[in-house]
Amino acid sequence: MDNQRVDMFILSNGKFFESHQVNMIRERLLAIDDSKWVIISTIQFKDPTTSLIVSILAGSLGIDRFLIGDSGLGVGKLLTCGGFGIWTIVDWFQIQKATREKNLEKIQQFLF
Amino acid sequence: MSISRNKLYGIILTACFAGAVWAWLQSSNSMQANKGLNVCFLKNIFNIPCPSCGATRSLLLLINGQVAEALYLNPIGFIIATIIFIAPIWVLYDIVFKEKSFLMFYIKLESGIKKPGVAITLIVFILINWIWNIKKGI
Repeated sequence: MDNQRVDMFILSNGKFFESHQVNMIRERLLAIDDSKWVIISTIQFKDPTTSLIVSILAGSLGIDRFLIGDSGLGVGKLLTCGGFGIWTIVDWFQIQKATREKNLEKIQQFLF
Repeated sequence: MSISRNKLYGIILTACFAGAVWAWLQSSNSMQANKGLNVCFLKNIFNIPCPSCGATRSLLLLINGQVAEALYLNPIGFIIATIIFIAPIWVLYDIVFKEKSFLMFYIKLESGIKKPGVAITLIVFILINWIWNIKKGI
């Protein structure tokens, strides 16, 4: 894929990934075929900020985990009052990282 | 694959251990006839119970054999009791025999509850339980 497109993608979607992953994504994007551009440019990513807001407001019901697609952990959080309140607080700090990892999983299936 | 085997097993074992310690603490607390520790965010801040408030007491009643009272207090106690007794054994079995049957079951379960029909049923169940909890004033 040409440089301009890749840079455009990184500029608009960089915030959805961990900073140390961005470089890897950039290199992979440069290496893959042009025909994948349409798919890659239209993937919808989960915004880490949104999940942080949801985590603060409804974290003790596990809604944040459901939102990013971790339904199993969401159920666990819901049934235990947010992991006795501890898991809720841990997730206030962890949920953004978890969201970015989910985004990486999502884009990875098109990168390789 | 959404979650790695070791991470899931770590979470499950930690959660079940924490749950068992928590239940034991609560049971020894209620022996001393005080109300016990309350960690629920919703209940502490807004003074309304969350869907799973009362699950610990329900679990303790269930262990004492008072099934009807446990069901009245909070049906979620039954689900938690099932998980807390079966999951650690299953996970330890997997670890000892180097298998991943529990992980497979978890992934199946996760994709199962994402289906709209199942999801809506579960949400309705949780909401009904929540309303019931508020009415009972747990």
